[in-house]
Amino acid sequence: MALISSILALRRDKRILKIPPYLSALCVIVGIAWLLVLPLNEYSRGTYVSENALLPGQVHTYFTGSEHNVFRAYRHEVHGLIDKPVAERSQRLETIFREQNLKVATQHYNYTVSNRTIANENVYAILQGPRADATEAIVLIAAWKNMADEVNNSGVALVLTLARYFKRWSLWSKDIIFLIPGDSTSGSQAWVDAYHDGHDQRYVESLNIKSGALQGAVAVDYPAGPWGQRYDKLHVVYDGVNGQLPNLDLFNTAVQIASGQMGIGSVIQRMWHHDNSYKDRLQTMLRGMISQGLGHATGPHSSFIPYHVDAVTLQTVGDGWHDEMSLGKTVESLFRSLNNLLEHLHQSFFFYLLLQSNRFVSIGTYLPSAMLIAINFSIAAMALWVKSGRRTEPIANPASTQPKSKPASSADKEDKGDTKPTHDIKHAKEKAPAPQQPATELLEIDGALAIVPVASTTVTERALLIPALLVISAHALGLVPLYLFNNWDADHLPGLFITTANIITLFPIAVAFLFNYTSPHILTLQALTLIQCFSLLLLGMFLAALATLNFSLSVLIGVACVPLSFVRRSTNMGINAVQLGMLALLNPCMVVQIGTKLLGGNLAEILVTAAQGWHIWGLWTQVVVWLVWFPAWIACSVVVASGIFD
Amino acid sequence: MLSSLCLVLLNALVISVAAGSDYHEQLLLRPLPQNTLLASFNFRSNESAAAFEQQNFRYFPRSFGQILQHAHAKELHLRFNVGRWDAENWGQRPRNGAREGGTGVELWAWVEADTEDEAFARWLTLTNALSGLFCASLNFIDATKTIRPVMTFAPEGQHANSSNLHLLHGTLPHEVVCTENLTPFLKLLPCKGKAGISSLLDGHKLFDASFQTMAIDVRPICGQGDASCFLEMEQTVDMVLDIARSKRPRDNPIPRPLPIDQLECDTSKLYNAHDTCYPLNKGTDPAWTLEEVFGKPLRGACPLTEQSGDEVNTVCINTPPERTVEVRTTGQFAESKLASDTVRCYKLPTGAHFDLVLPEQKMSTGLVRPDPQIFAARSINGHGQERGSTQSIIRNPSTTEAVEIVYLESLPWFMKPYLHTLRARVDTTYESPIKETYYRPAVDRKRGTHLELRMVIPPSSTLTLTYDFEKAILRYTEYPPDANRGFDVAPAVIRILSPQSGDNRGVYVRTTSLLLPLPTPDFSMPYNVIILTSTVMALGFGNIFNLLVRRFVGIDEAPALGAGGLKGMLLSKITRLRGLLGKA
Amino acid sequence: MTIDTQQKLLLFGAAAAVRLLLFTVFPALPELLAGRVEVSTPVTSFKRLQEGVFLYTHNVSPYDGGVYHQAPLLLPLFSLLPNPAYAPLATNLFYTAVDLLSANALAHVADSGFASVTRLFASPRKELRWSSAAIAAGFLFNPFTVATCIARSTSALTNLFVLTAMAKASHGASITFVLAAAFASYLAMHPILLFPPLLLLLYDARTLKTKTAPDVSSFVITHSLGFAAAIAALLSASAALTGSWDFLAATYGVRLLLPDLTPNVGLWWYFFIEMFDSFREFFLGVFWLHAASYMPGLTIRLNKQPLFVACTLTGVFAIFTPYPSIADAALYLSLVPMFRHLFPLMRYTFLASASILYTSFLGPAFYHLWVYAGSGNANFFYAITLVWSLGLSIILGDSLYAALRDELDVERPELQGKEVRRI
Repeated sequence: MALISSILALRRDKRILKIPPYLSALCVIVGIAWLLVLPLNEYSRGTYVSENALLPGQVHTYFTGSEHNVFRAYRHEVHGLIDKPVAERSQRLETIFREQNLKVATQHYNYTVSNRTIANENVYAILQGPRADATEAIVLIAAWKNMADEVNNSGVALVLTLARYFKRWSLWSKDIIFLIPGDSTSGSQAWVDAYHDGHDQRYVESLNIKSGALQGAVAVDYPAGPWGQRYDKLHVVYDGVNGQLPNLDLFNTAVQIASGQMGIGSVIQRMWHHDNSYKDRLQTMLRGMISQGLGHATGPHSSFIPYHVDAVTLQTVGDGWHDEMSLGKTVESLFRSLNNLLEHLHQSFFFYLLLQSNRFVSIGTYLPSAMLIAINFSIAAMALWVKSGRRTEPIANPASTQPKSKPASSADKEDKGDTKPTHDIKHAKEKAPAPQQPATELLEIDGALAIVPVASTTVTERALLIPALLVISAHALGLVPLYLFNNWDADHLPGLFITTANIITLFPIAVAFLFNYTSPHILTLQALTLIQCFSLLLLGMFLAALATLNFSLSVLIGVACVPLSFVRRSTNMGINAVQLGMLALLNPCMVVQIGTKLLGGNLAEILVTAAQGWHIWGLWTQVVVWLVWFPAWIACSVVVASGIFD
Repeated sequence: MLSSLCLVLLNALVISVAAGSDYHEQLLLRPLPQNTLLASFNFRSNESAAAFEQQNFRYFPRSFGQILQHAHAKELHLRFNVGRWDAENWGQRPRNGAREGGTGVELWAWVEADTEDEAFARWLTLTNALSGLFCASLNFIDATKTIRPVMTFAPEGQHANSSNLHLLHGTLPHEVVCTENLTPFLKLLPCKGKAGISSLLDGHKLFDASFQTMAIDVRPICGQGDASCFLEMEQTVDMVLDIARSKRPRDNPIPRPLPIDQLECDTSKLYNAHDTCYPLNKGTDPAWTLEEVFGKPLRGACPLTEQSGDEVNTVCINTPPERTVEVRTTGQFAESKLASDTVRCYKLPTGAHFDLVLPEQKMSTGLVRPDPQIFAARSINGHGQERGSTQSIIRNPSTTEAVEIVYLESLPWFMKPYLHTLRARVDTTYESPIKETYYRPAVDRKRGTHLELRMVIPPSSTLTLTYDFEKAILRYTEYPPDANRGFDVAPAVIRILSPQSGDNRGVYVRTTSLLLPLPTPDFSMPYNVIILTSTVMALGFGNIFNLLVRRFVGIDEAPALGAGGLKGMLLSKITRLRGLLGKA
Repeated sequence: MTIDTQQKLLLFGAAAAVRLLLFTVFPALPELLAGRVEVSTPVTSFKRLQEGVFLYTHNVSPYDGGVYHQAPLLLPLFSLLPNPAYAPLATNLFYTAVDLLSANALAHVADSGFASVTRLFASPRKELRWSSAAIAAGFLFNPFTVATCIARSTSALTNLFVLTAMAKASHGASITFVLAAAFASYLAMHPILLFPPLLLLLYDARTLKTKTAPDVSSFVITHSLGFAAAIAALLSASAALTGSWDFLAATYGVRLLLPDLTPNVGLWWYFFIEMFDSFREFFLGVFWLHAASYMPGLTIRLNKQPLFVACTLTGVFAIFTPYPSIADAALYLSLVPMFRHLFPLMRYTFLASASILYTSFLGPAFYHLWVYAGSGNANFFYAITLVWSLGLSIILGDSLYAALRDELDVERPELQGKEVRRI
């Protein structure tokens, strides 16, 4: 107690106030440096399988010999279906499954996203394990078209052959579901939604036959044509929607079986040639982080992961000497391992960054970097708060650093002195509309309100209501682009984007001007400080919470927002201009544009994918961008911009 | 159609009442689609009530009989079940499902007792004794797994001379049935699996079957009018063998790919080549013999069976007349054809091996399979370990008549259904199909939920039954060792009331069991949790009472040492340290 | 005065509008919130209440089962309302009204001014206070209150009765006070601990009103008897309603023995999940003793400020009872601003409120990781509940410190604004 109080006493010291900027700068630097040291041997670990039941590669695989002939035949069959209409294709695949005495069903889905229709059919067959009691199932997927939109010819054929081969075994303790989605992302999403009855019947057909709880899923992507093509390596894709990852054990099992048992090298994150150098490790990690941060579906497996079904995609790459049978054996061995599982995969890590196929960093090691970056905003917010109350503050109790004494205290301030009736009315009225926004926002809005009384420790002359409301409205404003980008016509999305980019860039200046022109008394110096303070506080809080859900996204946005905690409204026109220019470069739209350029993506495609993600995969990235990043940016830019007009 | 008729006839024949104490056994073979074979074993022994009372057992197994007497069980039904019956392909269940149970072990019995408690006590003795007898963990059927069904089960025997019977019912869906349960099962037979059809029962094949159920049914039967009652014990085994799989030699069970030359290819395909082969499926019935399929020879008849009368035909096979069936035996046997030749029965030779040989054959006519009266499937919707909803889909394929069913759910206590969310929809009509509801909610750690619904499904319509439930989180000692697999929920039992079947055994359908993953705590944490929580409490308590019991004085009045401020604190610490060192 | 009422009307109108708007604009929201463990506990959940009502209306005893653990008198009350599954409006209006009444009661408490000036004690900073309207606003727009209302948790009712009891006590209305207190204790059991301090408050109020101090012993005896009688009446009415006394075990028994370990924001659930079976009963006893021990201590030490004691006790309930929810926290946090005059003396408010703010965001996130994503385990959420409780208890202790310091300033004015130490 006494110790704390004496530390509190320290706060009276004027010098303390000079520290925060350096402190938050330090946080940022350490946070980023932290990321950079992760690839070193000291901070990363070699992967290992912790679930004993898996026993990867311990079984002999028999998928050879005449199965190869059958596979070739099926490959021809599949090839023959390539330019057939969907219905005929499904029907033919169904018959092949039926010939193998499996239970077969199809599922039609028909999404309409930003005036584009995504309609196709999933075919799936269930192999009822002779000893299984229909409580558990594992899924083998081969999407008809892979992510590159090539027909997954050999992949589908392999699944058909394996279905025929697996049917002969009597050792399956779980049902095996063979799924052939119409496409790589929406198809499997529709299927897995319907399987858990989380689907919207208007777009997705319900499943006729089901099995038990899904324990794992493996997708094969092998687009080789009817004459086959020998491959060099397996590319293991593991990112799920919203940056959720499968249990590391599944990934390890796949890698270990491929390399240890079959002698197939495996690569991740498109690092075709990984020489285990620091540079390559770092590059792999960063690619992983970007892909996780975007949170998009990276393969047929991605949609399974949000439902707590661990899944990976095995993709063949390069020219080598491995043939389809070795891939088939890998899958066989992998399924034998999954078949051994007594429990749902839970032993190993769910949060990790992979540096290469056999090296990873666990959450405990990397989380601090994101947290440090998030904290820097909180520190800046505190500093701003103290600054805002500096002048009027009675020296006696400096403990009054309270963002949360927002509206009420001010409210009551006024009607304490003079019983001007308007005040509380205004107070109430202005609260009323607030909660109409989504819960996330509502919370933090009233969050400010709620904690009020508890927190406000002292009589300060801070006028908190206006800044609070302005910050809230900034967040509310984020809903507009969120809605537009998700529902706009696909063909006009790029146009919309450009327009938004321009509007956003000019918006702060316009706002600042308007306020300055109409009612200069609102945006006082203190009010501006408070606005920045509140928005930074919220930003820090959101990023901290986000870091636990999607680490990479939190880091990426955190880094992009770093300047926000350093920009200040200055009376010097030049400095203001410089700051504004920098902010303009860092506004969400601009960052997205530059990012796409750097990653060699196509903006239009990305926008459409984002809309698709929002409607079909339940992607949350846009929400974070428009309701966390964008408002913070706006608020701080307005603060800076207001400097121009006096 | 004839064949199905003859089946009914056979069933009737099997359960037809024979007086006095006798023993009878029968095996009915029935090829099913997809190269599978249904083998229904039936062993029946009678003991007159008087002899039973005097513990004078002839065919009736003594060990079992004494258990029944000790537990005052008047009628008992015990089921061991593995696998699923595939109604779409295989049609009506054997014996209308009246001799099969849900996945795992299922037991229900009518116990004679004056009070509920006494009945339950006797039930516990019964389960414990049986668990010892059958090497099954029946003793885990405790209060939480026991229910008292009201509509689903009706006694099969005549209980004229026994008063206030209590029906108790328990299931163990997670129990894995295997050889250790088969051996005691065979021990109960008079021929102990040494001779007669029971000599075919071999653990390896039996538990490699796609579906297999073992049943034991004991019921009292009284002749019409007179009081000459006797106790009938029926043991049945129904199994569906995948012929290809069970023909594999035991020493080499691995399904290696066929040698390329043995692989039949569809040569009509354009791409057909020496290295490319589209597997041809010839629509022929595969060749098999009893010995191949069961892995053991049939060692002649069991000498204890009746050698005369209408029940001498021990082995029957139900195939179209055109199917050639050769008999291979050295002994004396007799063949007789029933039901317009679709059923061929054989009287087994005694002391000589007997085998049926069916060559591969292309069939022109098939058997008419009786279709099941309803199709039922149950699954869990939603994900996450907090809550979910159960969905049962029951379809009535008949285009003419409505089906009246009783739907029985017996849920573990940690799965808490919300009855107000129970919805039963029929796709063809708006009126509620539910006619009668019996509901007994669960009590934590004391008893499970018991729900019975009487419903009517109109012709050619589908009933969808859904209800929400919440999953309780348990104490860490209450989880099984493989906590993250989840718990098994017993299959729902569906009894078809009308249209009624021929016999008094009822028509039953059971759904598959469900897997219920519960939220799990961290099992490695007890000490940490206790310590951390206690710390937080201590902080609150200490802080507040510290304030309450002490009094304030001005900083200046306080002893100078360790006055406020960081400096003071440090000073005091240092001096205290000095003091310590000085002492040391 | 008229202005005040006008203010209040507008405020209440706005609050009602907010709630009804949320109900109508997001029809899925009530279900969602009712399912959140932070909002509705096994003993307050609306879904369980619906189940209870369903069983009750179908003549199955709701207490012969493990789902319904709430007071019997709620059953007829809610069976009168139309089924919320089809016609939610009535229920929504009901809960909105409950909130408004609570706010009104709170405003009355604030108006009485007992927070800063009591019979035996007047704070030197008594002029430092917020208008009752503002305090009511703090309650009505507190997101926790709103969430509780939208989730239709029955703890809203408990809060209403607790606040009413305070209001009546602070205005010296004996009978209504006794009734309200009895109802509160009947619904949630632990408010029974509020009776002594509130009785003290009532005594002060009465003495101030009728400038004569009534005889203490007779006063205490009569009111205690009345209280007991009221509770007895309620219980017997329930027994008559359900036809048996089973409900005692199913309601208060559950609160006492914690058979249902559904997670909540409190400290008990995980502790008793991980507790060794042989020690469970012992620790149940210890925890209850601990929770109850605050009442006498505070009442004796702070007998001059009974209202503050009552308020602090609600805080204790929000932390140390077996099934706390954010509703209890909301009650406490809305009572605290009445003691505006103590704020200058509080020291760790930033720490506490920051932790509370952070936990209210991290809690749901971690719960999602544990239960749905499956990528985190129970410890994540448990850690957050620890921090939450810690934050609340810091506020508790800090406000207590402030109150004592306030008293000190009266006893020894020369120490005002000086550093003090406790010895």
